[in-house]
Amino acid sequence: MNGQQYHAPESVGRLQTGALGVGGIAMVLAIFGALRSPGAFYESYLVSFLLVLGLSLGSLGLVMLQHLTSGHWGVIIRRPLESATRTLPLIAIFFLPIALFGMKYLYAAWLDPQKLTEQPLSDFQHSYLTHGGYLTRAVTYFALWLALMFIFNRWSKQQDTNQNDRALRRRLQMLAGPGIILYVFAMSFAAIDWVMSLSPHWASTIYGFIFVGGQLISSMSFMIAVVVLLSRAEPFASIVQPRHLHDLGKLLLAFVMLWAYFDFSQLLIVWSGNQPEEISFYRTRLYGEWGVVAVIVVVFHFFVPFFLLLSQDLKRNAKILTRIAMWLILMRLVDLFWMTRPEFTSSAVPTWLDLVLPVALGGLWLGFFAFNLKQCPLLPLGDPDLAKAIEHHEH
Amino acid sequence: MIQHRSHIYGVMGEFETPEKLIHAVQKLREAGYRRFDAYSPFPLEGLSQAMGLKRNLVPLITLIGGLTGGIGGFGFQYWVAAITYPMNIGGRPLNSWPAFIPVTFELTILGASLAAVFGMLALNRLPQPHHPVFNVPRFSHASADRFFICIEARDPKFHLLDTARFLQGLQAHHVSEVNDD
Repeated sequence: MNGQQYHAPESVGRLQTGALGVGGIAMVLAIFGALRSPGAFYESYLVSFLLVLGLSLGSLGLVMLQHLTSGHWGVIIRRPLESATRTLPLIAIFFLPIALFGMKYLYAAWLDPQKLTEQPLSDFQHSYLTHGGYLTRAVTYFALWLALMFIFNRWSKQQDTNQNDRALRRRLQMLAGPGIILYVFAMSFAAIDWVMSLSPHWASTIYGFIFVGGQLISSMSFMIAVVVLLSRAEPFASIVQPRHLHDLGKLLLAFVMLWAYFDFSQLLIVWSGNQPEEISFYRTRLYGEWGVVAVIVVVFHFFVPFFLLLSQDLKRNAKILTRIAMWLILMRLVDLFWMTRPEFTSSAVPTWLDLVLPVALGGLWLGFFAFNLKQCPLLPLGDPDLAKAIEHHEH
Repeated sequence: MIQHRSHIYGVMGEFETPEKLIHAVQKLREAGYRRFDAYSPFPLEGLSQAMGLKRNLVPLITLIGGLTGGIGGFGFQYWVAAITYPMNIGGRPLNSWPAFIPVTFELTILGASLAAVFGMLALNRLPQPHHPVFNVPRFSHASADRFFICIEARDPKFHLLDTARFLQGLQAHHVSEVNDD
């Protein structure tokens, strides 16, 4: 493309420094919290971990979706998406505190012998939900995700210099389909291990999909914010047009609907079945203080963004679309809070750790993302759709 | 010809390239013409902008159709299950709203899509078996290799001779009068 290199603007470097600084300070504060009350720390840590995990894995899913469907919508966000997937090693490090120290606080229901005698598990659960099994499976999930991340980033980089390599494009496309299946399967099992096992006596088969839907929302929202931020300076200033934001906004609307569909399906099945062992999940989450949070999630995570995103004008308006996107990331945090915390307490009031830990993990994650973004050209130079994706129709 | 002015639908100009068509459309708008239409064998980028086409009402009609379907769908189920024919099903409340959602959702889609299709047809007045532009024999090229502009007689600025001359000045290949029947 005209020998242009599309380097990241200076604002990305400032973002990196700022995010790392704020994240680092918040992390120091959080570590004090961890020393004082480790139980509360890990309850909060799980929520924030799941949020940043969603930003990385949702991006991995979107990268593969883009290779599979080769739509023009994904060309301008492909490099930001790949940068987000390359934060996965950091996510693996973020998982270590849970694996090494946090399990006994989070998973007492199946690790604490006393609780096991009070509420025994089935034979299968007994053999599946073990300390060793949990860790082995976690290593497997991360190995799968990291392998996908590594291959897709490597081939994408090769494409920059081999612009006419049709075989490479085919390979990317051929791997994307199986890759999506692997990601969703691994995420389903991870959601069972890391979150659903907080209450081992309750089970739902659509649980993993609810997480995948949420991760796609997180990632697409983040990408919209990144594109708008980058469009304030060259090279993106002369590339990003309202039609790009329109496309990303449409997909965000689709993901909001997809997530709501998964989430509601679970409620509908439990409601229709009306079995005592199935309703425990909603008994703790739809009444009392958690009932208020449930209403907030339904109204502000679904209805408000849904109706706003229906409008073509709002989707083409960079400022408003960014606000909706940032709002949805905040709502992802509230939803994850509502999914996990009721297993520990009937109080829906966030602790100070609930406020500090998202800043800590989010800040460090964002810093690493910004660092990754500077490593490659901001556009996939070898993508055959690049010219079409960035041409100007509107005179 | 001129004495039958009441039977004149408009004046049509024929252009050889999309660029000439878009240029002519821009000039027509600058000259103050509003009631005209452009015809092309394939979609042209920038033509709608040049014609100054405004957003139509289809999105709004679709939204209203969707809301009507959704509210009607939910309301009907509520009316049946909670008011006219209340039944105790497994001890659930009469207003078992989660069970109503799938039908509500389906009817939202149904209402929105029917409103979109029929709203579109109502606004563009299709199906229309005949249109005066087909009275011009050369207009058959509009589906092959020529580009046309038809300025309607009801445009306030319309004047048969002046408008025809104006079109010729815009490099129109052929200029013909379009009869109304």
